[in-house]
Amino acid sequence: MTLTSKPLAIIVFIAIFGGIGLSSTFGWWQTESTKEPAKYTEGEFAGTANPADIRGSYTFGDISNSFDVTPEILAQAFQVTTDTPASFPVKDLESLYLESGYEIGTNSVRLFVAYYLGLPFDTTGQEIYLPQPAANILQKHTTLTPEQSTYIQTYTVDVKPASLVDIEMSPAQSEGTAPEAGPTTSAPEAGTSSEEEYAVKGKTIFGDLIRWGVSQETIEQIIGAPMPDPAMKVKDFVTANGLEFETVKTQLQAEVDKVKP
Amino acid sequence: MITLFGKRIRLFRPRSIWIRRIVQWFFFLLITLIAVNHTLVENGVGIPFLASASLHAVCPFGGVETLYTFLASGLLVRKIHDSSLVLAGIVLPLAFLFGPVFCGWVCPLGTVQEWVGKLGKKFFKRRYNHFVPTKLDNILRYARYGILIWVLYVTATSGTLVFEAYDPYFALFNFWSTEVAPTALLILGVTLVLSVFVERPWCKYACPYGAVLGITNIFRVFSIKRAESTCKADGACSIMCPMNIEVDTVKTVRDHQCISCLECTSEAICPVARTVVFTAGGVK
Repeated sequence: MTLTSKPLAIIVFIAIFGGIGLSSTFGWWQTESTKEPAKYTEGEFAGTANPADIRGSYTFGDISNSFDVTPEILAQAFQVTTDTPASFPVKDLESLYLESGYEIGTNSVRLFVAYYLGLPFDTTGQEIYLPQPAANILQKHTTLTPEQSTYIQTYTVDVKPASLVDIEMSPAQSEGTAPEAGPTTSAPEAGTSSEEEYAVKGKTIFGDLIRWGVSQETIEQIIGAPMPDPAMKVKDFVTANGLEFETVKTQLQAEVDKVKP
Repeated sequence: MITLFGKRIRLFRPRSIWIRRIVQWFFFLLITLIAVNHTLVENGVGIPFLASASLHAVCPFGGVETLYTFLASGLLVRKIHDSSLVLAGIVLPLAFLFGPVFCGWVCPLGTVQEWVGKLGKKFFKRRYNHFVPTKLDNILRYARYGILIWVLYVTATSGTLVFEAYDPYFALFNFWSTEVAPTALLILGVTLVLSVFVERPWCKYACPYGAVLGITNIFRVFSIKRAESTCKADGACSIMCPMNIEVDTVKTVRDHQCISCLECTSEAICPVARTVVFTAGGVK
């Protein structure tokens, strides 16, 4: 059987676009990460989206797609004044509150969403700060357990977000937002800032630690087990093995700080 | 078609496989539009009805890079998506059947190198694509396997897309973004400059995906075959080959560098009908 260029061209087209079409029907053609948090797998809330899996890359709009919290409530809680709260990226909160001296970021949003919806959220060993408006909304909107009330009282801080003019807008946030609309911020792109680059976070994978110069032996000592696949997130491994992420994170960060340039 | 000394000779033959140019243009424009739209969407102004996937999502080599991690842990290397695995799963069987048609017909980086190479052909005429001494050239052509092994190793051990920082394909379609590493831009620049002297320098000497697909040349179903009985031995097929394969000295092209462009065949440069053909069967 001999082929000429025209049938070959047709075969190439059919193979590529037919393959893509076929894979789409099976749901395999995924060109981006889904922004759907993991669900509780057991207990009373099994099958419900778990706020602990909210990522920094989510926008307030993404959160409202999975949880019964509107972007406006989130914007009010975290003092984000913008015309388009739905497009505000959660990761930008950290830089918004950078000057306050308190870490108000993704974890704060997770805590807020969980308490707002009365969902379980483990705060053991963690210091998760909330701005005053967020605490006010929680106290007004939902019935908190005494432990939750105590926790919030301990970690609520009366801080203001950074001024608009001091902060560069991130592309996602700038969508449809007039410059004078309100406080906006931009977290550095992952991998472009040295501070961002060498910070152990929920999205940090074991490969990052190795790349930053922490030895495999040191990692294994801290996690108390052989290092899993480098592509695995430290947080996922720690959670799956019943360890406390905050503790492991602190130890790993100390090692990262020792070796970072 | 006339018969001269018992051989059928085509008087007005096409000089190239024109449909390949159309396919190359199509994929170049498609990837360009997707890359531009990706940036536009990030800035809140996407083009409707057009895909806005990241370049990583539409590159089959990502599927190769993440394969070890995927098999070992079920995870994908960061920035790689399922679509890369799908594309790798499409391109590999195509290569088993027809050789690296992806390189010769689809890859936009290969296309751009060919376009730049046209300048070289104009400047240097017959000297074009013959600057590198044969001995050195023969050695350098195995470098891409070394690069492939390195890429697979560092990706597997780091779980990150290390090659992105050196990838001229990523740089070509993202040169306007801050995501591109200077090293990738530098390698892209060097590749384009070298393309004026050598046809497809990145493909020949450095492309790790070309290395993967090139292996299929050894056992692919459809191959370039030369009928010795009708061959005029004028060397036209070898002169035309962008990868400098000496087609006129072999009966079946099994060279690991063939990109299945069909430019050497009787449909293009070979003046004798049915003498250099792309076939799954034999030739006389």
